[in-house]
Amino acid sequence: MEINRRQFFGIAGTMAGGALACKPKKTQAARTLKAPPDPYGCLMDITACVGCRKCEEACNRVNNLPPPQVSFDDPRPLERKRRPVVTAYTVVNRYHTGKRDQRNQLIPTFVKVQCMHCQDPGCVSACIVGALTKKDNGAVHYDASKCIGCRYCMVACPFQIPAYDYHDPLTPKVHKSTFCYHLIIKEGGKPACAVICPVEAITFGKRRQLLGLARQKIKNDPGRYLDRIYGEHEVGGTSWLYISGEPFEKLGFLDLPTRPIPHLTETIQHGMFRYMWAPLSLFAVLGGFMWTFNRKQITGDSEPERKEGSI
Amino acid sequence: MKQWKKPNTISMLAMLTVVLVSTLAVTLFKNRIDVADAVDPTQPTVAPTPIPRAWEARQTAAEHRSAEVVPLVKEVLKETPAQRRARFGDKVPQIEDIEYSYFLLNNPIIEKEGNLYGRVRFMHKKHAGILKDCFICHHHRAADPKAPDISRCSACHQDSFNAELPGRIGLKGAHHRQCMGCHKKWNRGPVGCTECHPKNVPDHTNLVKLPWNPKPTDVTKECLRCHDVQAEEMLTSTHWLWKGPSPFTEGSEKRIDLGKATKTINNFLIHIASNLPRCTSCHAGYGWKEATFDFTDKTRIDCLVCHDTSKTYVKAPLGAGMPDLKVDLVHVAKKVGKPSRKTCGSCHFSGGGEDPVKHGKLNPFLDFHSSSCDIHMGGLGFECHECHKTRNHKISGRSLALPVAEGSRSCEDCHTAIPHQGKALLNHHLNRHTEHIACTTCHNPFYAKCDPSKTFWDWSTAGNKKRKVKKDEHGMPDYDWKMGDFRWENRVKPAYAWYNGKVKRHILGDKINTEGVTVLTEPVGDIKDPNSKIYPLKFMGGIQAADAVHNYLLVPHLFGPGGYLETMDWQKSFAEGMKAAGLPYSGQYKWVETIMYIGLNHEVLPKKFALSCVQCHASLRTERSCGRCHQDKHEVDFKNLAFQGIDFKILHGKGRDVQERVESTYYIGFEKLGYKGDPILFGGRFKQLPLGWRLGSKKE
Repeated sequence: MEINRRQFFGIAGTMAGGALACKPKKTQAARTLKAPPDPYGCLMDITACVGCRKCEEACNRVNNLPPPQVSFDDPRPLERKRRPVVTAYTVVNRYHTGKRDQRNQLIPTFVKVQCMHCQDPGCVSACIVGALTKKDNGAVHYDASKCIGCRYCMVACPFQIPAYDYHDPLTPKVHKSTFCYHLIIKEGGKPACAVICPVEAITFGKRRQLLGLARQKIKNDPGRYLDRIYGEHEVGGTSWLYISGEPFEKLGFLDLPTRPIPHLTETIQHGMFRYMWAPLSLFAVLGGFMWTFNRKQITGDSEPERKEGSI
Repeated sequence: MKQWKKPNTISMLAMLTVVLVSTLAVTLFKNRIDVADAVDPTQPTVAPTPIPRAWEARQTAAEHRSAEVVPLVKEVLKETPAQRRARFGDKVPQIEDIEYSYFLLNNPIIEKEGNLYGRVRFMHKKHAGILKDCFICHHHRAADPKAPDISRCSACHQDSFNAELPGRIGLKGAHHRQCMGCHKKWNRGPVGCTECHPKNVPDHTNLVKLPWNPKPTDVTKECLRCHDVQAEEMLTSTHWLWKGPSPFTEGSEKRIDLGKATKTINNFLIHIASNLPRCTSCHAGYGWKEATFDFTDKTRIDCLVCHDTSKTYVKAPLGAGMPDLKVDLVHVAKKVGKPSRKTCGSCHFSGGGEDPVKHGKLNPFLDFHSSSCDIHMGGLGFECHECHKTRNHKISGRSLALPVAEGSRSCEDCHTAIPHQGKALLNHHLNRHTEHIACTTCHNPFYAKCDPSKTFWDWSTAGNKKRKVKKDEHGMPDYDWKMGDFRWENRVKPAYAWYNGKVKRHILGDKINTEGVTVLTEPVGDIKDPNSKIYPLKFMGGIQAADAVHNYLLVPHLFGPGGYLETMDWQKSFAEGMKAAGLPYSGQYKWVETIMYIGLNHEVLPKKFALSCVQCHASLRTERSCGRCHQDKHEVDFKNLAFQGIDFKILHGKGRDVQERVESTYYIGFEKLGYKGDPILFGGRFKQLPLGWRLGSKKE
């Protein structure tokens, strides 16, 4: 069967495309959740938080961050919505969901924002040098000595948490909540924000136990809590869990899929290299090229002569 | 041999240098120690008078309880509040069952996680009295049937995040949720952090960087490195400006310029104009010796006088606020912290020039925890700022003697308007009094408790060097040839007056009362004014100079070069004083009588030492039962109620020198206050007592 060059490319393209389109479905079952077996977590009870910003203060102290421009005792920063930045790994935001008390005053709801320490983090998957790792104790750990500053983690994070030292030209780093890794690896260690919380709105413990506690709280007081634990399933589960009496959408929480972030990218990437089929097919395609090319060269030896002759 | 000589000389020289240097170092070091030792005001110079020392027992017991860690209750009996109430039935615990009325909320369990804040004083009985339901706070009990039904918070709530007891909240969280939750829900009580407990100051030893022997302003500059905002706050504060808003002075409610620095006048040392270096030795700044002092210069703020915790900082008496040269400023600056009774007292205990002259309610004994001149400061160890809440360096509290106020504090802020908790009949009757009588009227039955206070000052007799000075029974001089006659009094019965919070105030330049006594400060109030209450006041009499032509009070130049204390020449003194005050002086002066009233809100006594019913209501002394007003009940012990142990007998028994007041009656004097007589017989302010029938029958 004779095929010309154009036909060959057409067939090869269709085959490759078909293979790419088909492969993910077949390998989906093969990619499992990459989560540590029994990690720590924190359960934040949004209904208890009083917005005192003590967690911000403790975080600042533990991580040796520069002193804030506005004192932590000052509630003014709550007036605008903030994100974690290089100088503050955790921030508290205030939301007015429209709920009013008996005196017709708006009831504020406070939400602490920090790295969620995903069970299967996008940033860890995106990091091309392994500077970010998910530790067995649940912390998503950043190793500045490995970081090359590509900032892929910032793109990969569904919560838009990592911040970058843009002002530092020589030794810039990525900054995000450490989960007080250096504290919790010790026996009895606890994250500073959880320890300092005056109302114990943050409970620190094993994630599995916290999920049980959250469910129990919701069951015992259904008037107080919505029947949802944010972080239980979101992006494959997070180490930080939230329970609230207000809809999460009104409190700045993103509506995220239950699929872990690395799922799609890693499936494509890993699928491509499964059974070496991608390189093999690449070599086959290239071999095909070479074959056709060579054949043309062999058969075409007379052509120039013929052309010359015709001229 | 020659080779050996050289090293020998060198080594000898070296040794000599070492010896010299070390001697120098030792001398320097010794000097330094001397400096630190030279001023040690922690040791009382005067032996305290015999006063009861049992008051602090309550505080020590509370401290002991707060340091205890009790065994953790693991199993808790699950029951709803209704079930709990039903289980108790009639035996629901009452206020009278309360074992401890006062707690210090702190625990080693909380402290081991770091202590940003100091402990909280918790008035247990007061909360029980207001809530009238123990089970709001004591919500569960241990499952063990032998355990007590009501236990303290730390029995169940201890370490946070206990993996064995998921969901059991830690002690700190439990305190905060319980207190704040309830305060928020009822919109009563404090919810801010520093409203309940003072913030701990971090150790400044390594933060303060100062050279050897700095100037006072260098210390302030070092403070400003981090605390610039606080300095800005200070620049607008009363303690810096010595003037400010006077919302409680009648006719000057909207003014913001009254104060010691401008027009306030008294009958002690009269006025600060021309006497600056002496008067301003109590100013929270450095070097206010001229009227041209720059009140916008932050480096002149004296941070240390309030924030010293080393107890070695003192100001020089004539130094216009400069510290004593002996003070080691580096040492003090490294030991800064929260103000204390000692720092506030360094000025406020010695108002009027020296210790206990002026106030009659503030004295250096209050600085010692063991002292019992005052239940709060003495017995319970309160620091001044625990009541006088401070925000942005503006300190709440007001005074009768001074117009400036940066906020108001009253007993009711903590003790509520119904402070006598419990169902006992006496409490009910006492709570009916609080609308008409200030707390201190009963709880501060006499002033100048621990130290004599000046109650009269006659400047007109000054200048007689030959007169022999006699010591009165308190050991105080009755005369000083530079300052005239004095009268000192100890344990004085206060004057009583109606007071609604407003003050009539004589300010510099006001016309004097040419026909009688000029009143410098006077409480406003009337028996018919529902906002007025009867307050105890210190009465201060004086004779001071007035301009015979212009008829206003004169400001004498007393201290410093050319002052009266030096020249003994009144004419010169008044001429200079009035020039500094900016008012003309006619050249003729006369001596006039002035009086001042000073509030007595400190040196409060606990209930055991407060006035009893019969102390004021003489009519009760002859009664045998409650039958005059109520149906008689046998179970009510009338004697115990009306005479209940709050008499001068007890005080006398406890070592107070109040023997002459034992068995005294008619204490506050109803006629002077506008009553016809004892209100029990003649009716109260706004209504007759229900069965006060004697009113008609006796009079007619």
